[in-house]
This record gives sequence, C-alpha cells and structure tokens, in this order.
Amino acid sequence: MKKKIAILDIGYGNIASVINAVDYLGFEQKVEKDPNNIKNYTHLIIPGVGSFLVNSEIIHKNKWVEEIKKAANKGVYIFGICVGMQLMFTDGDEGGKTSKGLNFFSGNCKIFNNKKKLKLPHIGFNEVEHSNSKIWSGIPNKSSFYFVHSYRIKSTENKFKCGYTIYGEKFISFIEDNNIFASQFHPEKSHKVGLKLLKNFLSLK
Amino acid sequence: MLNKRIIFALLFKDGFFHLSRNFRLQKVGDVNWLINNFGFGKTCDFIDELVCILVKKNPTKKDKIDFLNQIKIIRKKFFVPLTIGGGITCASDAKYYFLNGADKILINSKSSDKKLLRNISNLWGEQSITIMVDYQKDQNIKKDLNVYINCGSKKFMKLNEFKNKILNNITCGEIILNSMDNDGNGMGLDLQISKQFKKDLKSPLLLMGGAGKPKHIAEGLKLKNISGVVTANLFNFLGSGLEKSRETSFNSGVSLAKFEKKIEL
Repeated sequence: MKKKIAILDIGYGNIASVINAVDYLGFEQKVEKDPNNIKNYTHLIIPGVGSFLVNSEIIHKNKWVEEIKKAANKGVYIFGICVGMQLMFTDGDEGGKTSKGLNFFSGNCKIFNNKKKLKLPHIGFNEVEHSNSKIWSGIPNKSSFYFVHSYRIKSTENKFKCGYTIYGEKFISFIEDNNIFASQFHPEKSHKVGLKLLKNFLSLK
Repeated sequence: MLNKRIIFALLFKDGFFHLSRNFRLQKVGDVNWLINNFGFGKTCDFIDELVCILVKKNPTKKDKIDFLNQIKIIRKKFFVPLTIGGGITCASDAKYYFLNGADKILINSKSSDKKLLRNISNLWGEQSITIMVDYQKDQNIKKDLNVYINCGSKKFMKLNEFKNKILNNITCGEIILNSMDNDGNGMGLDLQISKQFKKDLKSPLLLMGGAGKPKHIAEGLKLKNISGVVTANLFNFLGSGLEKSRETSFNSGVSLAKFEKKIEL
C-alpha cells in the first residue's frame, strides 16, 4: 500500500513546523482539515500547540474523535505531539475544567505537582528514558528533546510502552501501543534526534 | 533534570536583520546573508531556542509578511524551537504567528494587557507566551530602573512597580529581562537584576542584553534563578561563538542539553 501521510489541522496546532520537518525528511504530506478524509491515509500526525480544553472541544464538536478512532482501529499509524499526545488520554484539566480526550490510553492530564515550587511551564531540553522499541531505533537512550508544557500525564496502565522524563517528578513523555504513538516533547523542534524519531515513525509499514 | 537554555535572538526591521546597541539598530543583512556569511546554520546546532523579533513600532501587515517570509527560510532548514514577536496587539496577531511556525509568541508593549494574555492563554496555553521586559536605569535617579515599551521608545513604569503590579499577576510562560543599558555593549549581562526577582515569580526567568563572550553566557546561566540567557549579538556569537559558549558553560558546571550529532537521518 502506498504511503500517505496527513498532518491534521484541527485548528490550533503549530502545523508549519511539522510540515517542514516531514518535507525535510523527504516524505510527501498533506495537511488535512476534514475529518471525513482521515480514512484515506496510512500515517497521521496530530501536532500540538494549544490548550487541552480548546482542542478537546474542537475534536468533540466535529467528527474528529469518531474518525481518528476508526483510523486507529484500522491500523493507521498515528503520532500525537504535545497537546496531541495529551488528547490521546482519558481527560485533561487545562482550561479551568476537566474535558475529555480520545481515551486511547487511560490517564489524566493534570498540572505538575508543584510541592517543590518548580518553575512552570517546563520549558527546554530534557532527557527521555525510552523503551528501546522499534520507533527508537538509532536514538541513544536519555537523548534530550524539547518540552514546553505545564500539564503532564503521570501514569497509565502497565500494558503500554512508555518513555519517561523527570521534572520534579517522573512523568510520561512518550507512549506507544501498536500503531499509536505520542510524545509530550516536540520532535520537530529537537534537532537531529527529533527528526530521527519522526523519520522512524514515517517509515513504519 | 531540566537543562538551562542558550537562546539566540534575531532582530528584524525593514527587510533586514539588525545589530542593536542600546536599542539603536544597525543593518546587517537578510537571512540568506546570515546563512552564507555568518554560519547561521552551524549556530542553530548549538542553541536551545531561536527568538525572532520584528523590532518596528506599530508594524504594518506588510512588515509582518516580510518578516515571516524571512522566518520561513529559517523554518525550512533548521529544527529548533521558535519564538516570534513584534506588533502583537490582539489574539489574531498571535494566531498569525502561530500559524507561521511560532511555538511561542513574544509580547512586550502589551504585556500589561491581562485580557489579551488570558485570551491567548485560553487558546494556546500559558506556556506559549513569553513576556519581554525592556528596562533601563533612570536618567536622574540611577538606582531606579524603568520599564520601556514600543521598541524602547516609551517609558512605561518603574521596574519594581511593573514586577509587583504586572508580572506577579499575569498569565505567561516565561519572562525575558532585557537590559537596554547593556544591550549590544558586549560587556556582560546585568547579573544584579536577578537578585530583584529571587522569590516572587513562578515563571522561568531569562536574561538578555550585554553578552559579548562565552563566559558572559556562562555567568548568567550559573545564577540559580535564571533558566536561560538570550543574546542577539550577531557579530560575537554567530559562527562558532555559541558552540564555545556551550562548552564554556558546560565546563563551568552549568547543566545544558547535549545534542546528539552522530544521528543518521
């Protein structure tokens, strides 16, 4: 089957950076604004800049949730970035109230536990302890990736393969389950290691 | 643990990037000139973030288009986090920058506009907002510091008052303290200013203005309450300047990200 890559334009993501990264890696991509077309692709990227609440409202008002879930069940490879990852969990608190995610992974997206009076947001490059699974091929463990967020997912079910980062506490910075992948960090902003991770994802077949 | 950050800033006005000395601008060249003559590409391999600022008072739509066209060239070649600022007066200005590749937007003149900051935060999250505070010593009372807006042209209020009334009460992701007195002089950062911000703020704090040598960057990064140092000093830090700054900072015990160079794409 011919590879067909879509970058989902839900409305608030920084899609320009992801487009450039995919282009730079030599893959053809299309920006997709219509959830009804998702079924036509082999790879989907859900980019992220934006609050959980706003993105949650958008995906639930339109047919995004339904179509993304259908694609996931069909085996389409999906990669969520930053808020795109947070949306894959059960729910999130950002925006003043708890709103629903896609529920691919069980877990709640909450603000960092700030008993240690950490500076928030968590901004900058930080290490990811990864699972050495196929998508991490060629990337040294504890490589540094770029983070910019105040909310995080602390735990999920053991059945999922996770990567972890420490900022005052250990949180999930990467997660995968069969064809679904997601990173709290921005691979498209993380120099060569980030591009390598995206390339590994886009090369899956 | 989280690493500290070395951030490079590019200042743009009327078709060209500029050097700044005490907020007086000197034309340098466009982005291709930076890449071809100043090794801008290599510079990007050693920075944690890039900030691009349109340093023009009340920029027009055309000014912003010209500015973003230059950034577009950068975005296609270099994969570093990008903050874009200059002329943001409403949420749709911010949206325009986000759609053109900003991971964060930078606000200066409108930093006291709580409603604007709340609107942007509600849509893109508070982590997406960087506040830039341009400050300068008072001409008459030297121990006093004043905050300026509109590209340093308009005195706004005393820094202490600005800290208590504005910075402690707004929604933002981080704050850059930019010394107009030290801007472009290459004599070192205003390290003393960090003492005034020791306890109050919850957001990460960055220093800008005055770095001219790698050791100046290391000095700023060594301060406990400083998360990063920003420099716009094109002549001193393009080429290998930031590579040396990273090395000097590492050797001074500063925790910085190590970027893997041997990755095969």
